[in-house]
Amino acid sequence: MNEIIEKSREIITSYDGPKVRIMEVCGTHTHEIFRLGIRSLLPENIDLISGPGCPVCVTPVGFIDEALYLALEKNCLITTFGDLIKVPGTEMNLAGARAKGGNIRPVYSPDDAVEIARENPDEQVVFLSVGFETTTPSSCLAVKKAKKLGLNNFSILTANKSMPNAYLKLKGSADAFIYPGHVNAITGNAVCKKLKDDGVSGVVAGFTATELMTALAVTIEMLKKGEPFFVNCYPRVVKDEGSISAQKLMDEVMELCDTEWRGLGMIEKSGMKLRSEYSDFDARIKFNMPHIEGKPNPGCRCGEVLQGHCKPSDCPLFGKVCTPLHAVGACMVSDEGACSAYYQYNQF
Amino acid sequence: MCVGLPARVVSVNDGTAIIDANGAKRDVRAELLDDLEPGDYVMVHAGVAIAKISSDDEEEGNEVLGLLNIS
Repeated sequence: MNEIIEKSREIITSYDGPKVRIMEVCGTHTHEIFRLGIRSLLPENIDLISGPGCPVCVTPVGFIDEALYLALEKNCLITTFGDLIKVPGTEMNLAGARAKGGNIRPVYSPDDAVEIARENPDEQVVFLSVGFETTTPSSCLAVKKAKKLGLNNFSILTANKSMPNAYLKLKGSADAFIYPGHVNAITGNAVCKKLKDDGVSGVVAGFTATELMTALAVTIEMLKKGEPFFVNCYPRVVKDEGSISAQKLMDEVMELCDTEWRGLGMIEKSGMKLRSEYSDFDARIKFNMPHIEGKPNPGCRCGEVLQGHCKPSDCPLFGKVCTPLHAVGACMVSDEGACSAYYQYNQF
Repeated sequence: MCVGLPARVVSVNDGTAIIDANGAKRDVRAELLDDLEPGDYVMVHAGVAIAKISSDDEEEGNEVLGLLNIS
């Protein structure tokens, strides 16, 4: 064990102050904290709760229904990150659409979807563009590439999310937040510093054992001081200004819009949609998409899980009818979802 | 979809880079990063290199704890 981890472990395990709630916003943090066994080190007065930081988990049911409409009614070739394929829509998921003859293809990156469009000029190819600031630049690059290539058979269905206003919505859910390192790598730290001025504390963390232990130790030490704080615990990747080129790219191609988050409802200016200059690549406009309202399973408590109001194991469906093989809620479908992590690491 | 992949840059050419992540090589978009050179380490997300990695996590941990006088 390295010295940093040892030092951090001492700080975490010896904490004997009042009970504190720390929310790890990012789904990958949730999984790594389980995988590394960090939860087992925590004393009872440190409560780690999982937040909404998985783009698949916060994508509303209606978005899946829109994708199903494009696949089955408009005969589009749907390209998507693999995680989305089993997320339930109102009546079925995208795997169900494939069983009905829909053309659904998983891709690693939006660029791969552009390549599929180039190779299949007779198909209308739609990429399901979900993701936070980390992933949105890849969709923007793909749209610009399609425009440069003059492709008229490529478009994207946007459900991209922007984190700052979601953080404000979560204010009060925890005493401190562990912010997603790779979102801050793009946005920089100004948002988190502003949150600190508004009384919201947090640290930005990386993903290795050393980084997560350091971030937790720093959080505990700073909470002891009783003042709002922000500390960048991931400086080898996150620079204060973030990625200026990615920020410029997103601003050129997309603009903020109001959007629905599964579990959190509508949040003002927390979504990203294509600017009018790129409307030829907007699937909703291109296919004259009707308004589609999804209906989530009423028994599913994903929404409360995403806000830290309950743990996955508090949901009556968890581990019974809702399992990774038969997921009812998005938090169980996605490998980065809190329910999936709790199930995988046997937290019943 | 949201997992960052740390990787070593093998070569850079006209806005794309070939990266090596534990032996797996592939092309990624690299135009978001200036002055990228072979041998640099980058964080890759959905086929795009989004940030350079400037040190290892132990150096980083020492820096963070040192700045806060946590020792």
